[in-house]
Amino acid sequence: MLRYIIFRFFAMIPTLLIASVLIFSIIELPPGDYFETYVAELQASGETVDPQKIEYLRKEYGFDKPVWQRYFSWVWGMLHGDFGYSFEYERPVSELIGSRLMLTMLLSFVTIIFTWVVAFPIGIYSATHKYSFGDYSFTFLGLIGLATPNFLLALVMMYFAKVWFGTSIGGLMDPVYIDQPMSWGKFGSIAEHMVIPVVVIGTAGTAAMIRRIRANLLDELKKQYVITARAKGLPPTRTVLKYPFRMSLNFFIADIGSILPNIVSGAEVVAIVLSLETTGPLLIRALKSQDMYLAGSFLMFLAVLTVIGVLISDIALAILDPRIRLQGKPEK
Amino acid sequence: MNDSSLPRPGKPLGHYVSTAEFDPYSVEQLTPEQEKYFFASQRQLIWWKFKKHRVAYWSALILLFFYVVIAFAEFIAPYELTRRHQEYIYAPPQGVHFFKDGEFVGPFVYQRIRTLDMDLLKRKYAANEAKTYPIGFFCDGDEYKLWGLIPSSKHLFCVRDGGTLFLLGTDRLGRDLFSRIIYGARISLTIGLIGVAVSFILGISIGGLAGYYGGWVDNIVQRMIEVLQSIPSIPLWLALAAIMPVTWSPLLVYFGITIILGLLDWTGMARAVRSKLLSLREEDYVMAAQLMGARPSRIIARHLIPGFMSHLIASATITIPTMILGETALSFLGLGLRPPVTSWGVLLNEAQNISVVVLYPWLILPVVPVIVVILAFNFMGDGLRDAADPYQ
Amino acid sequence: MKRGLLFTLMVCLVFIAGAAQADEALKEPPILAPLVESGKLPPMKERLPKDPFVVDFAKESKTIGRYCCQLVTLLGSAKDIRMMTVYGYARLIGFGPDYKLRPDILESFESEEGRIFTLRIREGHKWSDGEPFTSEDFRYFWEDVANNGDLSGSGVPQVLLSNGKPPKFEVIDERTVRYTWEDPNPAFPLGLAGPSPEYIYMPSHYMKQFHTTYNDADTLAKMAEDGGYRNWAAMHTVKGRQYRTENPELPTLQPWRNTTDGPSKRYVFERNPYYHRVDPNGQQLPYIDEVIILTESVDIIPAKAGAGESDLQARYLHFDDYTFLKQGEENQDYNVLLWRNGVANQISLYPNLNVTDPEWNKLNQDVRFRRALSLGLNRDEINQQLFFGLAKAGGDTVLQESPLYKEEYASAWTNLDVEQANKLLDEIGLTERDSKGVRLLPNGKPMELIVESAGESTEETDALELVRYHWEQLGIKVFTRTLQRDIQRRRFLTGETIMTISKGLDIGLATPETNPEQLAPVSPSQPNWPKWGQYTETNGKAGEPVSLPAAERLLELYNSWRQSTSVDQQEAIWAEMLEIYSENVFSIGVARETIQPVVVDKKLQNVPADAIFAWSPTAFFGIFRPDTFWFEE
Repeated sequence: MLRYIIFRFFAMIPTLLIASVLIFSIIELPPGDYFETYVAELQASGETVDPQKIEYLRKEYGFDKPVWQRYFSWVWGMLHGDFGYSFEYERPVSELIGSRLMLTMLLSFVTIIFTWVVAFPIGIYSATHKYSFGDYSFTFLGLIGLATPNFLLALVMMYFAKVWFGTSIGGLMDPVYIDQPMSWGKFGSIAEHMVIPVVVIGTAGTAAMIRRIRANLLDELKKQYVITARAKGLPPTRTVLKYPFRMSLNFFIADIGSILPNIVSGAEVVAIVLSLETTGPLLIRALKSQDMYLAGSFLMFLAVLTVIGVLISDIALAILDPRIRLQGKPEK
Repeated sequence: MNDSSLPRPGKPLGHYVSTAEFDPYSVEQLTPEQEKYFFASQRQLIWWKFKKHRVAYWSALILLFFYVVIAFAEFIAPYELTRRHQEYIYAPPQGVHFFKDGEFVGPFVYQRIRTLDMDLLKRKYAANEAKTYPIGFFCDGDEYKLWGLIPSSKHLFCVRDGGTLFLLGTDRLGRDLFSRIIYGARISLTIGLIGVAVSFILGISIGGLAGYYGGWVDNIVQRMIEVLQSIPSIPLWLALAAIMPVTWSPLLVYFGITIILGLLDWTGMARAVRSKLLSLREEDYVMAAQLMGARPSRIIARHLIPGFMSHLIASATITIPTMILGETALSFLGLGLRPPVTSWGVLLNEAQNISVVVLYPWLILPVVPVIVVILAFNFMGDGLRDAADPYQ
Repeated sequence: MKRGLLFTLMVCLVFIAGAAQADEALKEPPILAPLVESGKLPPMKERLPKDPFVVDFAKESKTIGRYCCQLVTLLGSAKDIRMMTVYGYARLIGFGPDYKLRPDILESFESEEGRIFTLRIREGHKWSDGEPFTSEDFRYFWEDVANNGDLSGSGVPQVLLSNGKPPKFEVIDERTVRYTWEDPNPAFPLGLAGPSPEYIYMPSHYMKQFHTTYNDADTLAKMAEDGGYRNWAAMHTVKGRQYRTENPELPTLQPWRNTTDGPSKRYVFERNPYYHRVDPNGQQLPYIDEVIILTESVDIIPAKAGAGESDLQARYLHFDDYTFLKQGEENQDYNVLLWRNGVANQISLYPNLNVTDPEWNKLNQDVRFRRALSLGLNRDEINQQLFFGLAKAGGDTVLQESPLYKEEYASAWTNLDVEQANKLLDEIGLTERDSKGVRLLPNGKPMELIVESAGESTEETDALELVRYHWEQLGIKVFTRTLQRDIQRRRFLTGETIMTISKGLDIGLATPETNPEQLAPVSPSQPNWPKWGQYTETNGKAGEPVSLPAAERLLELYNSWRQSTSVDQQEAIWAEMLEIYSENVFSIGVARETIQPVVVDKKLQNVPADAIFAWSPTAFFGIFRPDTFWFEE
């Protein structure tokens, strides 16, 4: 077991290395650099820029150095905890991400809980009442959430929330509460504003989850031990919940790998539409303007989280299911 | 020793053997239905099971209908794609009526009168019940070239000169939304297919190799998948779309986008193929094939894959909606298709505006075919998946 | 007799008493009153300079206001807080609503021979932290910043150079400084009055702690490291940035000062207690106590404005949003004003005269081709379709409000004349057409004109649809391509772009004193002659020399403006430049004076009902003095 963990741990390193090269090249490849974007943006609003100043800034930030040198200094910095400097905000990257992390994670957690709370009962009902009217209607409802493009749904909901409930447009709380210490008013405002993003993002995820719970549960329910239990007179609810349901939760653990990075940055599109102060829009903006370190370091951070998440889920699965632990080469 | 029970060689046996005609089915007579069932090929069984899943069956029919429509888009759309109507900007949908003064006269529309509200700077439209334009079929309208090759001007339905047929209203340049949705369907529905084809091919080949060989091949592939999955999809799309050369024509950009979408989705397919192969390769028939000297590619392609092809198709069908939604998301981020190319993503993006939600809500209607198509693909995929294992 | 004398004496006494009363009648803003009472803040009389700037309310049609309240406005990103410096528009010398330059922060600004400028500071003028504003602040900037190799690696700012030579800087006394150049430098006063001003001063009493000359190098290094700056120079630059005031501790002379340490979604700008302007009653401005800036996603701003969540909003609102905003007027507490955009043209097409393709290069440089394209556009149709007919058709030139306006500039080659256009094209030799009616280039290929756009404005995209249709009637097939803005810039500079569509020139409200640089090839950021512009900017090190006589003349005129000494001279130069530019159609204007909706809270006063919204010289709201805006009950 320990050997397995150590082996996987070391396997992480080349993965992350390749990921870092990939990320760096993806950001560097498009022609131009941050300063060109900056200049173009200023000129679009009519402001003039001293071109010499730009050249000077370029040199200051090391853009005259060759590509590989910049890559290595970036990686070296990250290994020391220095995630670099954002050109756009002129602040260290860690400060920028850190300030938004709290709200992002809060939103993600609430969304995940929402998804589970909605998906579990529906999934179980669907599995136990297969092909019934209820099964079809719930699947239908779940799928509608998935099928509607998020950005449009968010916009429409935002408008109606304003018209019907007076919720201020966009953001995660009423503007007066920003930068204020937590209070009941602030808490209420955040809760009110969180409804739209949670519902929009959540409905997209519930459909998939319902389907998987349904499929896995159906597989389990066909097994011998369930029939035996029913035959022996176990009440239906207990029959479903005590064993089959728990068995079908295997895939959950497998999912931790992808949940972890999503907690830290996800739902970029909805966050942009609703102007939420989460990390998603920050990342998109950084990529569009080629803010090298902000985009690169953040992506790297997410990559690390994914790899760690996958490792955790693999270990958890290995602990739970010895069959996976012992999988080997084909027998010849 | 002379054994009296065994006759001499060549002579008939001593026990009773009937010389009557032998009918193998005489013991167990099969009814015609049973016969059909037991002798049916795998494909037929899948088809029958699929049909039983009513919702999936109807979904498949709806999708077929959509694809037929886009094949003849130019003919079915009342107006040509770029046709603008200066006088009818932001016009709401026109209702089709059938009864005039209580009598059935066939489908017609009322004339539209436009007035300008100079206070709100809004265009107002009212129906003039005095003048009606009957809707004709197979009539002459805008000129077009079917598939860009065959010139014609016949349309499935239209109104006579001077009349307007805006079934779903017009947009800010006075273009008919219904026609644009039909033309847009062409791009949106085919992007999904091509993207899925790309991810299909990649997923099967890479996943197949990993699953079959196992060992270090498998390890490398798994690492690769891990790397790709560790980078969130939207930023990756953004980055890839930004790399696409600017000089490409819209058609090339379109293909570029389908490839991007396909490239990022093959990992799921590869994983599924790999895990299935890992279990299936232990089967006896694989060992038999190996012993007979078949090459690995032949074994994978000819023996293993067909075994779960139906599962793959089912997964692929469910991936198509992701591609369609991905295209709309890319348009939203400003990186997908852009005007003058028309797709549902472009149409929805143009509707992404508070003015539209409040004042011109009919422009949000393209979301309806999007939802219908995605639901249809999902249900059809569900049905296929259930049907894919007919021996259950 | 005695009674008369007594009466006169009494009247005099009343007057004197009244006058004394008037002095003490200066009321403190309620928000500052407790601070003044407790002695933390000196009373208004002492906070103002001895001779403050009195805003002429009568001339500018303003009403006396009251002190109170918060103004909320929405911007698109943290970087946008520089707009507060633009809107605040406190400048050494500034433009008034009559587009005339006069001293604002300064008491006086004298110019001799256009090359010797004497600046005099108001007596008793203080920074926002109470420290005196003196000539030391100018000296510190000049000697310790502009001429310091570490801080100004790129050299002295362009505007402080005349013919490439820096000035002689002298401190005459505590309140007076003088800049002397050998050659005239008309760009200097203009730069000081610009929406994004040239700073030639800095709060030295605060900044000295970040400078190696005045502070120990090791201490500075430690400070830089703690703050996350690369070195002391970077720290000095960031801490001392006056345009984009991200440092809440930096003293300022603007009406409001930033008190929020970003990055934040909400920035609070509080009143500057030492601001130098007063209303006709002697009450210190600004009236509004706080300006709150919320940074939101740009797409959501029209929705928020329509929901009444902004008290003053123009940025990020477009003509398209007008109907929605106007409808919201009933339920929300705002009015939507119809201002007009002040750029020379809202939508302009720039043929790239430096395109590398030889066929298109020849065409673009042929004035007949450009004129034909301009004649072929049905501007009225575009106006009707996109702007409800409320914009004006016209070329890319100054607006009616500008003193330099002449009818012939705006109408040059902008009437619709498809016949004439076709004739011109035939004249050039493009008589061959292919089977679809598209004209053929001399090399036999069909004329496929690719127009590149940044795709950020639906107006441009829509206009292009119509332009495509119009030019099809001339036998030219138009394709559009949407690119990101920086890529667009890079492509026209390398000569790959044939034509760009973008906003017109920023000379809508030009006066003779305005720098005519946009009319001449001086910068690589000009889409119509980027390589010539680059040649000028780099002094011949990169780009190509100007090869068209008309453009050469424009460059000549520009250079002579840089050396001009009188307004008459400048006016003549401008007139000739405008004429050459419009006759030669160096950019094709499509629609101008388009509507800019402005959302204003119903209670907010002193906002002009109808005005021009432009960057230069009006600094968006700047010229209209937001410090005089006030909320009624």
